Amino acid sequence: MENAAPATPAEDATPAGTGPAWRFLIQPRWVGWHLLVVVSFWGMLWLGDWQFHRAITGNGLSWAYTFEWPLFAGFAVVFWAKTIKDEFRIKRGLAPGSLAGSPADLDDLPVRVRAVQASTASPEDDEDEELSAYNAYLARLNAEVKHHGRWHGWRN
Amino acid sequence: MKAAVLRYRVMAYVTGVVLIVLCFVGIPLQVAGYPAVANDVGVLHGILYIIYLVVAWVLARKLRLALKPTVIMLLAGTVPVMTFIVERWVTRRFINPALAAQTQPAQPVRP
Repeated sequence: MENAAPATPAEDATPAGTGPAWRFLIQPRWVGWHLLVVVSFWGMLWLGDWQFHRAITGNGLSWAYTFEWPLFAGFAVVFWAKTIKDEFRIKRGLAPGSLAGSPADLDDLPVRVRAVQASTASPEDDEDEELSAYNAYLARLNAEVKHHGRWHGWRN
Repeated sequence: MKAAVLRYRVMAYVTGVVLIVLCFVGIPLQVAGYPAVANDVGVLHGILYIIYLVVAWVLARKLRLALKPTVIMLLAGTVPVMTFIVERWVTRRFINPALAAQTQPAQPVRP
């Protein structure tokens, strides 16, 4: 199930106070992700260096790749940083990549909708547009009810 | 959201077509001793892939995709024909549900 890893839905998050928020960073799944990023970062820098050596020995085409590989390496780091930032936001019960309750964010779905969608919609269901629309509707209702309780401090 | 989807689709198809030209026209010609096509199309694909990366990533964040589908989406731009397959899959699996959830129906679609 693609939606489950590693962005755990907010429901599964450790409630505040039972451990430091950064604990997820040392879970095996996340350690694997850190290692993958480190290896690909240095791998891409190495490829850039290799292209640079080809470029200075006369392969004009390599100049493009000399700049491209470090760009990709930088992108990998930004990507990695954002996944961690998002996970912290989810742990705090906020939608990733958005300010809490920002009205400018109406374009985006609340994170809980996605979590519910992930649990109700299997790939086969998505063939049926009508059904997936109905599932999404249920998910939104569910999220609204949950958020409603949250606003009044019934649920955290 | 709709603009991000459109940007992603355009880049998925453009990058996919250029990569197919590179792999199935450019590379055979290069092997046959005419490297010009592979060189030019290779650089073109390199530039397009950077744009694809940014556009696909923006959409992945809007859809709040988890790590695995995001990485699949981003790497699809480097595997021939893969952008088309992944674009179909992402549309079915993530874009359509997200768009359906956005448009508020007046009543349940199914009673």
